[in-house]
Amino acid sequence: MSQALEITNLNVSIGERQILKNFTLSVPKGEVHAIMGPNGTGKSTLAKALAGHEDYAITSGSALLDGQEIIGQEPDAIARAGLFMAFQYPSEIPGVTIANFIRAALAARQPKGAPFDAKAYYAELYAKMDALKMDRKFTARSVNEGFSGGEKKRCEILQMMMLKPSYAVLDETDSGLDIDALRIVADGVNKMRGPDVGILVITHYQRLLDYIVPDKVHIMYDGRIVHSGDKTLALEMEKKGYDWVKEKYGVAGA
Amino acid sequence: MSDQDQENQAPDATSAAIDIDREKGNFKYAEDYAYDAGVGLNPGVIDYIAKVKGEDEWVREFRHKALKIFESKPMPTHWATKDLDNIVFDNIRYYLAKGQKPARTWDEVPDDVKATFERLGIPEQERKFLAGVEAQFDSEASYSRMKEDLEKLGVIFVGPTEGLRDHPEIFRKYFGKVIPIGDNKFSALNSAVFSGGSFIYVPKGVKVAAPLQAYFRINAENFGQFERTLIIADEGAEVTYMEGCTAPKFETATLHSAVVELVALKGAKIQYITVQNWSNNVFNLVTKRGMAEEGAEVRWIDCNIGSRLTMKYPGVVLKGEKARGEVISIALASHGQHQDTGAKMIHAASDTTSNIISKSISVLDGRSTYRGQVVMPKSLSGCKNNTECDALLINTNSRTDTYPAITVRGTQNSVQHEASVSKVSADQIFYMMQRGLSEGEAMSLAVNGFVNDLVKEFPMEYSVELKRLIELEMEGSVG
Amino acid sequence: MSNATIPSSPIASDEAFSAALRPWAPQGAFADLRKSGWERFRSLPMPRRLDEKWRFANTAEVTLDGFNLAAEPSAAARSRIAEKSHLVDDASARLVFADGHLVHATGISAELAAQGVIFEPLAEAVKRRPALLEKYLLKSGTNLGGDKFLALHQAYCESGYVLYVPEGVVIEKPFVIYNWSVAPDAAFFPHALVVAEANAKVSVVDFFMSDTATAQALAVSASDIHAAHGAGVFRKVVQNWNETVHSHQIDCTHAGSDAEVTTVAVNLGGKRARFESAVRIHGKAAKVNLYGLTVADNRQEFDQRTFQEHNAPGAFSDLLYKNALLDGARTIFSGMIRVAPDAQQTDAYQTNRNLLLSGDAEANSLPGLEIEANDVKCSHGATTAQLDESELFYFLARGIHRETAKELLVFGFFEEIIEKVDNDELAAVLRDFVHAKFRRRAAASA
Repeated sequence: MSQALEITNLNVSIGERQILKNFTLSVPKGEVHAIMGPNGTGKSTLAKALAGHEDYAITSGSALLDGQEIIGQEPDAIARAGLFMAFQYPSEIPGVTIANFIRAALAARQPKGAPFDAKAYYAELYAKMDALKMDRKFTARSVNEGFSGGEKKRCEILQMMMLKPSYAVLDETDSGLDIDALRIVADGVNKMRGPDVGILVITHYQRLLDYIVPDKVHIMYDGRIVHSGDKTLALEMEKKGYDWVKEKYGVAGA
Repeated sequence: MSDQDQENQAPDATSAAIDIDREKGNFKYAEDYAYDAGVGLNPGVIDYIAKVKGEDEWVREFRHKALKIFESKPMPTHWATKDLDNIVFDNIRYYLAKGQKPARTWDEVPDDVKATFERLGIPEQERKFLAGVEAQFDSEASYSRMKEDLEKLGVIFVGPTEGLRDHPEIFRKYFGKVIPIGDNKFSALNSAVFSGGSFIYVPKGVKVAAPLQAYFRINAENFGQFERTLIIADEGAEVTYMEGCTAPKFETATLHSAVVELVALKGAKIQYITVQNWSNNVFNLVTKRGMAEEGAEVRWIDCNIGSRLTMKYPGVVLKGEKARGEVISIALASHGQHQDTGAKMIHAASDTTSNIISKSISVLDGRSTYRGQVVMPKSLSGCKNNTECDALLINTNSRTDTYPAITVRGTQNSVQHEASVSKVSADQIFYMMQRGLSEGEAMSLAVNGFVNDLVKEFPMEYSVELKRLIELEMEGSVG
Repeated sequence: MSNATIPSSPIASDEAFSAALRPWAPQGAFADLRKSGWERFRSLPMPRRLDEKWRFANTAEVTLDGFNLAAEPSAAARSRIAEKSHLVDDASARLVFADGHLVHATGISAELAAQGVIFEPLAEAVKRRPALLEKYLLKSGTNLGGDKFLALHQAYCESGYVLYVPEGVVIEKPFVIYNWSVAPDAAFFPHALVVAEANAKVSVVDFFMSDTATAQALAVSASDIHAAHGAGVFRKVVQNWNETVHSHQIDCTHAGSDAEVTTVAVNLGGKRARFESAVRIHGKAAKVNLYGLTVADNRQEFDQRTFQEHNAPGAFSDLLYKNALLDGARTIFSGMIRVAPDAQQTDAYQTNRNLLLSGDAEANSLPGLEIEANDVKCSHGATTAQLDESELFYFLARGIHRETAKELLVFGFFEEIIEKVDNDELAAVLRDFVHAKFRRRAAASA
C-alpha cells in the first residue's frame, strides 16, 4: 500500500464548467509539496473537491489516502480518514467556542463511548496555543468570530496541530497575512513536518515558501499540473511570473 | 365602530379641502350629459358605463359583481391610515366618456404648479396638457407610427374596451385573475368602474426594444382615474412599459384607483416603470401585481412623488420554478403627503428569488411608510428573498414607518430583511458647505446621493428629471 | 391567602370572580382595582383573527374555557415543589409558588431589610404597603393586544411578589422566584412588581415550570418593572411550562433617565405562549437591552410582541430575539420601535433571527418602525433560514459527524442569548433545559 496522497485523473466541475482536467499528483508521506499557479486555475477547487464539498462535482478520477479512496465519501469521513484542509476563508461559527469545537472534532475520532481525557486535552491545547503565540483567552471565543485574518489562519494551524492529520492541504494560507503572522504560521507547519505527514501547500506567491521549504514545487494551470521541479522552481517563478506558463500551456487561441 | 363615526361626522377642514368644490373651481362639464354617468355610484352607473362602451354581457356582470363586493368591504382603516375616511364616494364622478374633461382655463391652474412647470422647463403646450387645460397635441402622429411598428411584430396595444371586445381569446383568460375583484376594496371599485388603461399582448419570443408608454394612449380615452392595465408577455417575450411623467399632473379628480395586472409566461420578462406625480389633492390607491411563470421575471420600478395619500404595494406571484420578482421603489413625502408604499412577494414555486429595495425620504411633516409581505410556504425549497428598506428623515417633524410581514416555511428557504432610518449626516453637509455649497444645495446633493443607485434604474430622461425634481422638492426644507 | 374554600367554577364567570374577591373586601383600594379589572375583562372581546395585534396568531386556539382557580396544594405537593425549587441557589432570597399559592419563602437578610429593601408575596404587600401598590401596581398596559388578558390578570391578581429597592442600594445576588403549575386545569395569575429607586441595582430570576408533563393549566402572568433615574434592573424569565399549558405573559417596563434595564426571556414551554413586552423610556440616556430565546417544537405556538417606546432623547435600546423551530411549530415575532417626536438622538435597534430546523415549521416576522424624530439611528433586521451550509461544511471538514455538527451549530445559535444572563448557575440550567428539549425533539424527528 502506497504511503501517499495519490490523486489520479481527477475531473471536477462547478455547474456546467469543468475546472480540474485529469488532475494528477502524488504527495508521499513525509514530504511537503507546493502548488503554485495563477488565479482562477483551479487551486482552491482542488482543495474543496478533495475535502468533499458538495458544490464541486467530481465527474471521474480517484484520490487515495494511503491507498484508501476518499472520492465519494462524506466530508467528515474524509477528515477522519486523515485529510485536513486549512481553509482560505474559514467560516465564523457564533456561539461555539474554539475549545469545544476542537474537542468535538477529537471526540469524533474516538471510538463511540470512549471517555474523553479533558485534562490532557487542555494541556495539549494550551501548549500548542503557546507555540502559535495565541492568547489562551482565545479558547473561550467563538470559532473565527470577529477574528482578524491572521488570527483565523493561526486558528486553522492550531486545529491542524491538534487533529494531527496524515495529510494536510493548506489552501492559500498565506493570503491576508502580514510578515509576522506568516512566520508564526510557517513555524507551526514546520513543527508538523515529519515522516508521518504529507503536506500540500497551495499558494499564489512564493514568499510563503521562504519559510516552508518544499520538497517539490508544481505549477498548476488550467486545471492540471503543467510543470514540476524542486524548490528552486518557486524562485524561478518569482522572477519569471506566470505569463510564460499561460503562453506555453494556454489553450490555443485563448 | 369609531371608523364609521368619523365618516358620519360633518366634514372637517381637511375633508372639505379634498372634495371637488365645483363652485369655487368653476369647472365646466360638457353640455352633453349623454356621456356623463353623473355623481355617485350605483348599479345604474355600471349599466350606463357598460352601455356607452358597448361591452359584452360578461363584462357588465363582472362590473356588477365588483360593485357588490366594493360595497360589502369595509375601509381597511384597521391597518391603514384614517385619512381614507375622508374620501366621500358619493361626491365622485365615476365616468366621463370619450376624452371629455372638465374644461377650465390656464388662469385656474394653481401658481405653485405653474411655477414647477416653469422650473422644470416643460414646454408650453405640454404644460397646458398636464394642467388638464388642453388635450395632448402631437401625440397622435407618433402614436400611429408606433402602432404600425408594433403591429408588424404582432403586438397588441389597445385599451381595455377594445381588448376585451376584440381579443377576448387573449385577454379574458387573465383579466381579473392576477388581481381578483375582491383583493381589496379599491380593486373592487376599479373592477366596477374601470375605463382607460392599456391592454398589451406580446407574442412568443418577441422582444419589444423600446419601452411602451402610457403617454401614447392618453388621447384615446379619458385616462387616469380608474384605469385598468393588463400586460401579457407570452413565452420568451420581453417588454418594458412606462407610465406617468415627472412633471406634476394637476388633477381635479381626487380619487385615483388603478388596477394593473402583469402576466409573464415561461421565460418572459416584464418591466413596469412608474413615476407618480399627481398633484397633492389626490388619493392614489393602486393595486399592482404580476405573475411570473417558470424562469420568468417581473420587475416593478416605482417612484412616488406626488399625491396626498398613495397606497401602493406592487407584488409578484412567483408561480413557476426559478421565477424572479423585483420591486425597486423610491418615495418622497413632503408637506401634507403620505406615501404608503411597499411590496409583496408571494413565492409559489421552488427556487424562486425575490428582491425588494425601497428608499424613502420624508421632508417637512411628510410621512413615508413601507409595508411589505413575503410568503414562502411549506412545500417549497430553495427560495430566497432579500429586502432592504432605508428611510431618510430631513426635518425634525418628518415621519417614517416600516411594517413588514414575513412568513417562512419549507426547507432551504431563506429571507433576509433589513431596514434603517437615518438623517443626512451633519459631517457630510458640513463638508459640502465648506466647498462652497449652500445648505440647501448640500442637502439636495445628499438626498440625490441617497437614492442615486435606484434612480439609475429609470430610463435616462426620467432619471435626469427625477434628480431635478428631488432638488425642487427639497427647497424650503432647510433654513 | 387561601382559596381552598372557593368552589371551582370557570374563571370567566361572575361567580368565580366574586368568590375570589370576597376575602379581599377589607382592602378597599385593592378590591376596587380588581373589580375594575373584571369589568374591563367583561367589556373586551376575545382576540379575533383579523385583529392586527394578533396577526398570524392562531386565535382559534386562544381560550379561557375549562380552567378554574386551583385549591391550595397538599402538604406533600408543597414540600415536593419546594424541594424542586433549587435551580439558582446563590440568591438574595427565594419565593416558591404552586398554582399561585405560596409554598416556600426564604426571606432577605437582616442587612438588606435594614437598608429598607422589601421582598414579599404580593398578598402580604396588599395589607402592609397599600401606598406602594397604589403607586406602581398595574398602572399601564402594553398596547400590544393583550388587554383582555391583562384585565383578567388584574381581576384575579393576588399571587406573585413585590420587590422594592431603595435609592442607592446595590444588591449583587439575584432574587429568585419559582411559579409552578401543579393541579390539572388550574388557572393562576402571578404578578411581579419590581421597583428600583434612583441608582439602586437589582436582578431577579423568574421561573415558570410545571410539576408534571401532562397537567393542563392557564397562566396569565404580568409584571410592572420600574427603574428610576440611574437604576439598574436585570430580569431573567425562564418559561418552561409543560407543552399543554396556555401561557400569557405581559410585561410592562418603565425606564427613567440614565436607567439601565436588561431582560432575558427564555421561552420553551406551553402549548400556546403569548408574550408581550413593552418597554417605555421616559428619561434621557436610558439604556435598555432585550434578549429573547425560544425553542419551539411539536405544534407549539410562540407569539411574541414587543414594543420599544422612546419618549425621551438620547436613549438607547437594543432587542435581539432568536427563535429555533422544530417539527410543526410556529413562532411569531412582532416588534415595534416607536420614537416620539421629541426623542432626538435615539439609538434603537431590533433583530429577529429565526432558525428553521424543519420544513413544517413556520416563522413569522413583523419587525416594525414608527419614527417621528429625525436625528436618530434606528434599524431592524429579520432573517429566517436553515443552518448555514458553509458553516456545516467547516465542521464536517474537521471530521465532526453531521448530527453532532448540527447540534453544535444549533447550540451555538442559542449560546449568544444564554451568555447574556451573566450568571453561571442560571446559564448552566438554561443549557440543560434547552439542550434537553432539542435533543429529545431531534431524536424524535430524526
